[in-house]
Amino acid sequence: MRDVTLSALDRLGADAAVNEDTFQMDEDAFRLFYERTARPVWAYLSRMSGDARLADDLLQEAYYRFLRANVAHESDAHRRNYLFRIAANLVKDLRRRPQVFPAPAGADGEPAEHADPQSADVANGAVRRLDLARSMARLKPRERDLLWLAYAQGSSHKEIAETLGLKTASIKLLLFRARRRLAGLLRGGGR
Amino acid sequence: MNEQRLGARAFQASVECPRESDVLEAVAFGRWPDHCAELVTHVATCAVCADLVEVARALHDDRESLCRRDPPAAGIVWWRATIRARADAARTATQPISVLQAIAGASIMGAGAGLVTIAWRSMHWVDRLDEVAVTLASRRADLEAASTLATMHGLPILLALAAGLVLAPLALYFTLADD
Repeated sequence: MRDVTLSALDRLGADAAVNEDTFQMDEDAFRLFYERTARPVWAYLSRMSGDARLADDLLQEAYYRFLRANVAHESDAHRRNYLFRIAANLVKDLRRRPQVFPAPAGADGEPAEHADPQSADVANGAVRRLDLARSMARLKPRERDLLWLAYAQGSSHKEIAETLGLKTASIKLLLFRARRRLAGLLRGGGR
Repeated sequence: MNEQRLGARAFQASVECPRESDVLEAVAFGRWPDHCAELVTHVATCAVCADLVEVARALHDDRESLCRRDPPAAGIVWWRATIRARADAARTATQPISVLQAIAGASIMGAGAGLVTIAWRSMHWVDRLDEVAVTLASRRADLEAASTLATMHGLPILLALAAGLVLAPLALYFTLADD
């Protein structure tokens, strides 16, 4: 490991302070925005990538791109949609990359200690989530995005269209087809 | 025309239900199925809403479960972003230096190629030395003056040229690459 001198640390701190000016958003504003958006964005990235650790990396990348973009947003909702658009593009890029190993269907990064075997509710919940993960894995990537944004994230058709780069008018039908397909898979236990 | 309209309406009815938003709201706010008996009755007879409940509940619960996990701390994400911005800025700044280095390298190679060409031509010039000797003999007075000048200043000029070719790219590198 490389030794870091005190002067190097000072320099690093100074550089970091200088770079705060490179982002339009200051640290306090970023923290507020992050607290409001990180969990849903992480949940989306985790479900779409099927890997909790990868979701951490993608989350970092999404916020970095968001900060670097230095785009002025007219509202908080607009800002959040923009972040989701970045996240959706990251997931799209991820799918284009050759996979070294297939993403496990149920790898949502849920720590094992969350599942209390004593509780039937928790066990049932875990089974349902596994069914969902399997079923989602059988959908087309765009269907997964559509369904998550509509029913987990609660986005409007217009917001979904902006995030995924689709026409607003086509969302209703696409969503209907994806929903029917997922419902069928869920009723079959994800098989 | 009427058949087309009727077909479109039938398709619309099979794709959407006016109660979708009510069902979605009940699921999202945790009222489903205990606090909305009337909606439950409707869903039992509506295929569109039945699919919607199935999917929306699963995704809503999944999101709630995933959102229980703490994402990386805001401070860490911010700090990493600033460090990376600095690295990216440094990379962007060094790009012109690389371009200048490439130009300097190409200039050196060009000058070298020029020198080789001159040397090659001078060898042909040696073959025609007899002709040159006759010419030179006829212009002896001019040559004496020129050779005196070459003896006095030729070597320093050559040395200066060689030093310039070697030192110019180095000076450029050390001036610009102060990081």
